[in-house]
Amino acid sequence: MSHSILTASPLSTTQTLCAPSGVLEAVATRLRSGGVMLATLNTEARVVFHDAAAGTFFQRYVVPMLQWADPTSGQSTLAERVGRLDASNGVCVWDFIPGVLVAAAGLKHRKQSTGTLLLACKSSSFGKTEDVMRVCGRLALDATWLKHQADPLPSYAEDALQRQLGLVNGMVQDQVRMGGLESELESLSGQLANTYEELTLIYQISSGMRINRRAADFFKQACLDVLEVMGVEGMGVALHAENFHRQEPVIYGPLGLPPGVIHRLSEQLMTELTQRKSVLLVNDLPHDKNYSWLGEFAKTLIAVPLQRQDQVLGCLFGLNKNGGEFDSADSKLLNSIANESAIYIENAMLFDDVHGLMMGLLHSLTSAVDAKDAYTCGHSERVALLSRHLAQEAGLSDHQVERVYMAGLLHDVGKIGVPEEVLRKTGRLTPEEFEQMKKHPEVGARILRDIKQIADIIPGVLHHHERFDGKGYPSALSGQDIPIMGRIICLADSFDAMTSNRTYRKALPLEVALTEIRRCSGTQFDPALTEAFLRIGVDRFRDLLTVHQEQSKRLIDLQQLIRGA
Amino acid sequence: MSDETSIKEANGSKKILVADDESHILHVVSLKLRNAGYQVVTARDGQEAFDLANAEHPDLLITDYHMPQLSGLELCQKLKADASTANIPAIMLTARGYHLEPSDTTQNGILRMLSKPFSPRQLLATVQEVLLERAA
Repeated sequence: MSHSILTASPLSTTQTLCAPSGVLEAVATRLRSGGVMLATLNTEARVVFHDAAAGTFFQRYVVPMLQWADPTSGQSTLAERVGRLDASNGVCVWDFIPGVLVAAAGLKHRKQSTGTLLLACKSSSFGKTEDVMRVCGRLALDATWLKHQADPLPSYAEDALQRQLGLVNGMVQDQVRMGGLESELESLSGQLANTYEELTLIYQISSGMRINRRAADFFKQACLDVLEVMGVEGMGVALHAENFHRQEPVIYGPLGLPPGVIHRLSEQLMTELTQRKSVLLVNDLPHDKNYSWLGEFAKTLIAVPLQRQDQVLGCLFGLNKNGGEFDSADSKLLNSIANESAIYIENAMLFDDVHGLMMGLLHSLTSAVDAKDAYTCGHSERVALLSRHLAQEAGLSDHQVERVYMAGLLHDVGKIGVPEEVLRKTGRLTPEEFEQMKKHPEVGARILRDIKQIADIIPGVLHHHERFDGKGYPSALSGQDIPIMGRIICLADSFDAMTSNRTYRKALPLEVALTEIRRCSGTQFDPALTEAFLRIGVDRFRDLLTVHQEQSKRLIDLQQLIRGA
Repeated sequence: MSDETSIKEANGSKKILVADDESHILHVVSLKLRNAGYQVVTARDGQEAFDLANAEHPDLLITDYHMPQLSGLELCQKLKADASTANIPAIMLTARGYHLEPSDTTQNGILRMLSKPFSPRQLLATVQEVLLERAA
């Protein structure tokens, strides 16, 4: 019987921790110095903590009795007392075993009983009672030895122990409350950290909405950012092809999907989201009636439509949330990102629209000029293409390169003011005719000056007949004083003039034209640009002009229409 | 998992001082750093941070710019002036759109700037970067 007492293992029973062990250790240490042992019981009155350093007296005489349970019912000896304690909602002090006084108080957290706080000490009756001997017998202890162990310990009266318990209970409850507050603070800080992440993410996405940025780049960055913040294995985007540059659906992240799967998924999502127009959450793909086919690749799916004014332009989708399911916080975040992204898409579409309209108008204007003279058919377009290549070769920025292209396109717009008989004249021009011809750069600049969006290309139009040695027109500028666009177009213009048929001569072979260009480097042309131009090479020029010839069919048709009429 | 544990253990030898008068920033930053295994000490103003830097000798300082008593920049200047704290590298948190003169940062051991609201993930990455640079 005594063996069963000593081997009883209270910690194996259901545990309700009523206070953090760090708090208990600290309180126990203080009590220990006053000869009092601290213990706690769970809601089933089993010992879950006791001060193991309280001393031999407690360890050998008191703890085994606290841990003792009825061998048949398995019920703790303390259960009855503690049960009554709960009902009375108070504190009780009693002679637990001969010579030992125990005080107990219920521990509560949010009005729920979480266990019992228990103090034990030597009582003033220790040594006087015969019953100590009887308990010693049960525990196989030598009574004289026990008395020797108990001697240095102070003994307490009931009211003194009760006061101690009151203090300790207050301390422990405070500590428990503080522990609760600390973990609450921790969880709030965690949530706040997530909010910071989301805020930064949305900020990053909106500041990444530069209009001239390619859609693919914008969405790649957005997906990669969301991937990390939301914690998913795959983040993708699908856009309606007709709206957006025939952008293929893509997915980023460690979850690799075969292209066929991405296409099928994006088509299904587009169809579904176009109708439901709100977030879609599927947290069990293998068993979903619509998406079970995706089950072998992923477990969970979230998707939101990208929409502007009720029109669904595309969607964002995430797959496999790390360690769990997609929830309302995820859908809220993804919705905000979809809203930001939709603004970008709409802006980009508007930009494309306006840009397309402007380029269309510029091309029309150019065609109108070129149509005046059969021999210069496609000249403006070719000069634009050549200028773009030269600008690229010379290391100008992407933006500058596009502006040079536009300037090239418009460089001869002023010829609209030159009489057709002068433009088409086969023989040598008279000085008067030449004066009329020389006006076209200024006329062109004048025609364009009211379009403020292209003010930066006017110098290219105005100065494309300046010469590097200062002998050109209209301003006789020389060297670096000639705007770079003017110097570039001058080269491209001369090259195209030499390599096209003219009323007075056949087109020169490319090689001959290039030799001529080299010969005029430093006099007519900027030597550095000449070098860049020659680097382009005969083969690439040939390719360029072939491509252009196919494109200029419509212009030839236009000229035939004019001549026929 | 064991990789993560060993990284945390390695980080545990590093002590980081965080100074900000806004307590929510302190909580968010120290939670993020503690979860990554770092030891963290916090200060609520520049003066307290200065005292703690002298007492604790942290491996890194993360400080807000706008603080009562001693601004983040003044704190870094004071630390730089004392040989025992002159080599503590610093990460400065500032309001968005606020810029320090490059001479102020380089002369005072301010190796990185982050603007608020910052991403805690990004802050942690920056901390690891700076400590790695120091170790190299």
